[in-house]
Amino acid sequence: MALCKSVNEAWSRFFFTGFSGESLGLLRMYIGVGLLFFHTYQFATVLGLNPTGAMFYFIEPIWYFKMLGIQYHIPILSFIVYAILMGATIFMIRGQWTRTSILVVIVCIFYLKGVRDSFSGDVHHRYIIPMQMLLLFLLSRCGEVHSRDALHSTFPPLQEWEASWPIKTMQLYVALFYFWSVIAKVRMSGWEWFAGDGRIQEMLIKRSVRWGISGEDTLVKNSLSFELAQHPDLVQVFALLVLAFEIAFPLILFIKSAKVRAAFLSGVFIFHVGTFVLLDVNFILIPFVYLIFFDLVPIHQWLKTKAEWGFGRNPPVAGT
Amino acid sequence: MSKRTVNWVLVSYLTIIWGAVIFRIDYFPLTWVPMYSSYYPDDTITARVGDSERMAKGLLVTHRNGETSYISRKDLNIPKPNFRRLYYQRMFGSGPPKHRQGNRNLSPLNRWIRGLEDGEANFSADWEWRMFWSLNKSLGYEPQDPRFIVQAEALYQNRIYRKSDLMKQDVSRYRMETMEARIRWKDEWITRWNDGTL
Repeated sequence: MALCKSVNEAWSRFFFTGFSGESLGLLRMYIGVGLLFFHTYQFATVLGLNPTGAMFYFIEPIWYFKMLGIQYHIPILSFIVYAILMGATIFMIRGQWTRTSILVVIVCIFYLKGVRDSFSGDVHHRYIIPMQMLLLFLLSRCGEVHSRDALHSTFPPLQEWEASWPIKTMQLYVALFYFWSVIAKVRMSGWEWFAGDGRIQEMLIKRSVRWGISGEDTLVKNSLSFELAQHPDLVQVFALLVLAFEIAFPLILFIKSAKVRAAFLSGVFIFHVGTFVLLDVNFILIPFVYLIFFDLVPIHQWLKTKAEWGFGRNPPVAGT
Repeated sequence: MSKRTVNWVLVSYLTIIWGAVIFRIDYFPLTWVPMYSSYYPDDTITARVGDSERMAKGLLVTHRNGETSYISRKDLNIPKPNFRRLYYQRMFGSGPPKHRQGNRNLSPLNRWIRGLEDGEANFSADWEWRMFWSLNKSLGYEPQDPRFIVQAEALYQNRIYRKSDLMKQDVSRYRMETMEARIRWKDEWITRWNDGTL
């Protein structure tokens, strides 16, 4: 009974405290802005196609295309869906018809991602975290604060628990995502993955020779990866760092200090830049989701003040 | 939503996302995060020799009337990385990483819930059939058409290095390997023509 009570209390303390309605509304806006760049980067290859060119019949349609019987690509439709996606994301940022906008964003991502991943059957994982966040935004009352919708309707004020649970669930998902990747490595390849002459070294070499070797037997590109691969001890240190931060990622949920959280996430950001530069792992834009680990109210206020100064308005005077 | 409903939503959500991890479900937006997880220790490293000219020309195909031509990524109107995967992987019977990840080290429980027999792969596909179906359909050729593609060829070269040589920064020692795929249309596939890849 006592155990039940303490689990219940811990559950409530974690999911239902920590954020205000304003935080949730601002998070919707800032994540929306990040998504504008993310969408364009992710779907650039599809947007490079000829809109009136051949309709390609997919080699391996993604599971929901199979289910819906979608077997081929209509190029012009991808351009139209992309335009709708960007429009809906802007509406989501503005908080105008918020829930509908988020739903449209979700549907458009499903379509464009389905197209991109069905051409040859290579399914990418970069949209998984943003999609979980969009689903949680959809279920939440994020459109009732900092929104156009709030100008035209009177919503009851958001209570702390209503604003906190979607953000805390997003945080939990991101933390678990990194944690699960360790489980996957161990399940598939064992601890050997983390050895100095293991997977990381192999990838460093493979990625450095993938662009070829010139007539003088020197690498055409990415000699830094090749150089690093020559030092298995150093690679071992990096592998252990990867292991440590992926296993320890869930601890971020219990760090109270925003500065310590920022320091940890800066390290993870450097990891993503490093894997992008050295290993060609394309998760470079994912760190925009780390905004969920901060209360955006003071940050927004600071940015607003800066912007007001920038536009030549008088800075606010304390106490007035 | 009331707090009680939110609690139910959270419990269901956590059950689903953890279920995906335990049962190795990798269907967007669920995942068990398998990317870059597989590692097959090997003494050699294989590097493909890039040939942009050959890639620009594309696949060499033979039509039912005996003519030959090239099919490029522009003819198919697909992104460059996807065409590369068709050329270097699917033509050679190799599936996407998702298939390899999904097939490797499946626990008895995960094999049982999928109803897999001993030795049966979780993911498998007849890539030859899919290539012919996709190429012909995309270009508007039906089986009775004289332009119908009945053969496709892909060719490239690999340099195979010994890891020990590369560790000494010696990239001059390697073995060349020529990879050649020639796939032929089978008339027995006509019965599947209208179903495609579904």
